[in-house]
This record gives sequence, structure tokens and C-alpha cells, in this order.
Amino acid sequence: MSKEFKTLPTPPRLPTRRARILLGILLAAVLAFVGLDLSLFDLVPSGGGLELAGKFFSAAFQPAWQYQDASNLPADISPFLLQVGRGLWTTLTYAVAAISLSIVGGMVLGLLASASFWERRSGTWGVVRWSVRVLIAAMRSIHEILFAVVFLATLGITPAAAVLAIAIPYTGTLAKVFSEMLDESPRAAADALAYLGATPLQVFFLGRLPNAIPDIAAYSFYRFECAVRSSAVLGFFGFTTIGLYLRQSFENLHYREVWTYLYALILVVALLEVWSSQLRRKFVA
Amino acid sequence: MSIQSAQLARIKTLHRTRPRSLLVRWSVCLALVGTVVVWFATDIDLAEMFSSKRLGHLERFLQEDLMPKNLRGDAFAWGGMWQWCVAQFQLNGARAMLATLCISVLAIVLAAVAGALLGAFGARNLMSAHPFLPHATVGHGDCSHWLDRVAQGTRILCILLRAVPEYIWAYLFLAMLGNSAWPAVLALALHNSGILGRLAGETIENLPAKPLRALSMAGASRKDVALVGVFPMALGRYLLYFFYRFETCVREATVLGMLGVVSLGYYVVEARAHGQYSTMLFLIFLGGLLVMLADIVSDIARRWLHKGI
Repeated sequence: MSKEFKTLPTPPRLPTRRARILLGILLAAVLAFVGLDLSLFDLVPSGGGLELAGKFFSAAFQPAWQYQDASNLPADISPFLLQVGRGLWTTLTYAVAAISLSIVGGMVLGLLASASFWERRSGTWGVVRWSVRVLIAAMRSIHEILFAVVFLATLGITPAAAVLAIAIPYTGTLAKVFSEMLDESPRAAADALAYLGATPLQVFFLGRLPNAIPDIAAYSFYRFECAVRSSAVLGFFGFTTIGLYLRQSFENLHYREVWTYLYALILVVALLEVWSSQLRRKFVA
Repeated sequence: MSIQSAQLARIKTLHRTRPRSLLVRWSVCLALVGTVVVWFATDIDLAEMFSSKRLGHLERFLQEDLMPKNLRGDAFAWGGMWQWCVAQFQLNGARAMLATLCISVLAIVLAAVAGALLGAFGARNLMSAHPFLPHATVGHGDCSHWLDRVAQGTRILCILLRAVPEYIWAYLFLAMLGNSAWPAVLALALHNSGILGRLAGETIENLPAKPLRALSMAGASRKDVALVGVFPMALGRYLLYFFYRFETCVREATVLGMLGVVSLGYYVVEARAHGQYSTMLFLIFLGGLLVMLADIVSDIARRWLHKGI
């Protein structure tokens, strides 16, 4: 009798798998905190740091429109706002140059790394695909700043070094994401072409690639935004992007100038973001 | 009229009436023009980079600087090289890798907590006057409710947070907080909370509305809906984003050490300052290894999640 009334197991409040992941993540954070030997007291700036923080953040409300200290400027220096504009312009040009290289490289490597490109071909081509994937992973795994440091050590400082330093890891990232997008794009058109007797190349370039183009374009634009940020940071290593001027102003304790550079960078990135989200709405939806 | 020409005409009309957008067209034009200008009208010159003077530099670097000091002059010796690598790894490499990993783990968890809050307060549907209720039942004209202002402000805050690169955040914090791992952790956490906040907000806005509306109509408060409905429904996707950002965090953490925090980047800069280029390259290689490992871990975690959602 009692066997007929089997009690159902109580449903878990969270699917156990996710609960376990959450617990694991929290545990990892605690371990990291202990491992880094951190103390919460260090989070509060003290002494000179506190004073500096006060000065720095109060400067946020009055960004500079001209050089803060006009007394010891080099004679041939351009007006402050022009300097800001120049920093932004170099930042943008490096980013455009780098992303244009990366999109071309990323497309080629992305095609070769995708499963859909090698469909309907013999399995021995898998060797090519996997070696390209390893190459992509290697390119991606090293940060653009590290590439920049290596180029500075080997070739010296030149704009092309900054461009290449950004372009190499970005090519890897774009290639990886492009290949995933190609493989996830709808395959109905490709199959129809294949049934009609199209060659594998025709199937891929007419049936598969066009479906992925909107996603590819949207992602490329997003990476361009990232490239602008990376290019700005490379200024800290001596390239003439906005990071260079920001660093100089900070080291001279001209915090109001620092905020002008920060606001300029934020404005450009925010504008790019609005533009890209508008485009994505047109494209992808 | 033959069937074929009728079909051709049909294809032509389809082509003529395809969806077109001025914005897309102008953006493409601008991108092309910009690329041409950048390559032909600025001082960016890839050929100059490989001019004979610079190649001379490179040659000396490859022939002399690259080999570890004590191995120089020998023919290439694999055994000696291996021993050298092991020694380097034990000297600083292992410690630096562990520190890099710890910084990125702590930072991404802080960012995830902050990002979840930012996302919830920035989501238009959760922060409307009557969350998830259809307009017909509550009437219109509520669009300037103060909650909408809060949501708008939160979204702008997210933009500010993520527009400033990690490296610049860390540089600023380092001057204020002095030398500990906090500047790097905070910098990574701030930038990523801006990104995760936006992604969380989008996730919440794209949730299926019906179950949440049911909760709301049954009398659940905004807090109840958020904790009982939104959180479990959005968690899976949020975790996917979490692991995706974790990967980039590890990548950035290697570099933030260059400012003086003891992650890999610190030892890279130090090796470069002492002219130990072989050590520098080995440490960069270790960084690459760590990033690839994080990549694989995050990939496995995401795949595991995908199956469970």
C-alpha cells in the first residue's frame, strides 16, 4: 500500500550544477584573497595617498581647458585642447590601422579554423584546421602590451610597432570568434546548394559566409572599440597616443588636465558604443 | 513571357526592395575612407619598421640578447636550455603565475557581484514603475517615473566604468593606495563590472516576460520578482558571461604587474630593465601558457553550463 504513494523528491531550489559552480567560484575568491595576502585596511588610502585621492577626485569637477601651469612649458607646444585632439587622433589612427589588419587576417585564419569551411572535404585537411587553431590560440594568449614591449626591445619605437602589437592578438581573437560565427550560422542554404551540385567552395562562400556577415561586422566593430582603448594604453609605453599625455599630466600633478584626457577618451568610446549599438540593431535584428 | 524572364524580374524586384539602411551604408563608407587615410596619410609605415637599421637591431637581439647569459657562445644546447627554464620557473615564474591567477579570480568575482547589482538596477523592465505588467493594466504616462531615472543613471555609470581601460584605472589607484595587489584587483573589477553590468542588464531585459508577469500579478513585490524570478532565470546566461570575462581578466592581470604589482608583468619589466631578454621572453611565454589554461577552463565551464541550462 505504502509503495503506491511514492513521494516525489523535492525540487532543488537552484539546479544543483549551477549551485555547485557558484560555491566553487566563491571558494576560489576566498582562496585568492588569502593567497594574495591582502588586508581590507589597505583599501583605504592613508597619509599621502589620501591627500592625493582628495585632490584628484575634486579635480574631476573642474577639468582643464588649458595647461594648468603655463610657466614652464616648452616654447613650441600647441594649445592644450589641440594637444587633446592630437592625442585622440593618434589613438584612433593606430586603432583603425590595427583593426584593418586584424579583420583581414582574422577572416583568412577564421575561415581556415572553422569546421564549416572544411565540410565536404577529406579528413586529412583537419591537420591544417587544427594547426591554424593552435596558431590562433597562441596569438590570442599574449597581451598587446607584451607584444609592444617585445617590439620596443627588438625594433625600437615606431608607430608601426604599436599597430602590429595591437593587430597580432586582435587577429587571433577575431579569427576565433569569426570561426565560431561561421559554424553557428544557419546551414539550410548551404545544404540546398550542395544538393544542387555546387562545389565545396561555392557552398561555403555563397551558402554559409553571407549568413554570418552581419554578426562578423557587429563583432568587428566591438573589437574596434577595444582597439581604441588598447591604443590609448600603449601611450604609457611612449607611443604618442592619449595615454602618453595623460601619464605626463599625472606625473606633473596636473590632475585637471588628467580629467580632460579621461573625459575625452570616455566620450569617444561612448560615442563609438552608441554608434555600434545602432548599427547592430539595423544589422542583426 | 517565358517563365525564366518572369523569375528574373521577380529576383530583380526582390533585389530592389531589399532592406537598406543609410546608417549602414555611411558607416561602411566611413570605415573604408578611414582605412585608406590611416594607411596612406599618416606616419604609420609598416615597411619602415623593417628597414635595415631596425633589422640590424633585430639581428643583434636574436643572436646575442636572446640566449641566457651562461649559455651564450655554446652551440644551441637543449639540455642546458631546459635546466635554465626550470630554474627560472622556480625563481620567479611559479610565484608570478599564481599571483596573476589570484588577482584575476578575486577581481572577476568582485566584478560579478557588482555587475549583477548594476545590471538589476539598470534593466528597463525591472526598474519600470510596474515591473513586467502589461501597459494596458496600469495605463500609460509613467515613463518619467523616478525609477527610470535610476536605471538611466546606472547605465551611464556602467559606460563610464568600462570606457576607462583597466591599465589606466590601475595606474590611478596605484598612486592612491600604494603598493599592494589592490590597485590591480580594483582596476580589473571596476572595468569588468561596467561590462558585466551592461551584459546583465541586457540579459534581464531579454528574459521571457510571462513567468515574471505572473509573479508580479500574483502580488510579488519588485524585490520578490528580482530574487525569485529574475535571478534564477538570468543566472545561467550571466555565468556564461562571467567565464568569458574571466578569460580576459587573466590576460589583463599579466600586464597590470608592469605598474609594480607582483604579477607576471612586474618580472617582465624587471627582466627588461636588467637586459635579461631571455628571461623576459620566458616570462611572457609563461603568461601565454596561463592565459591558454584559463581559456580552456572557461571553455569547459561554459560547455558544462550550456548542457545544464
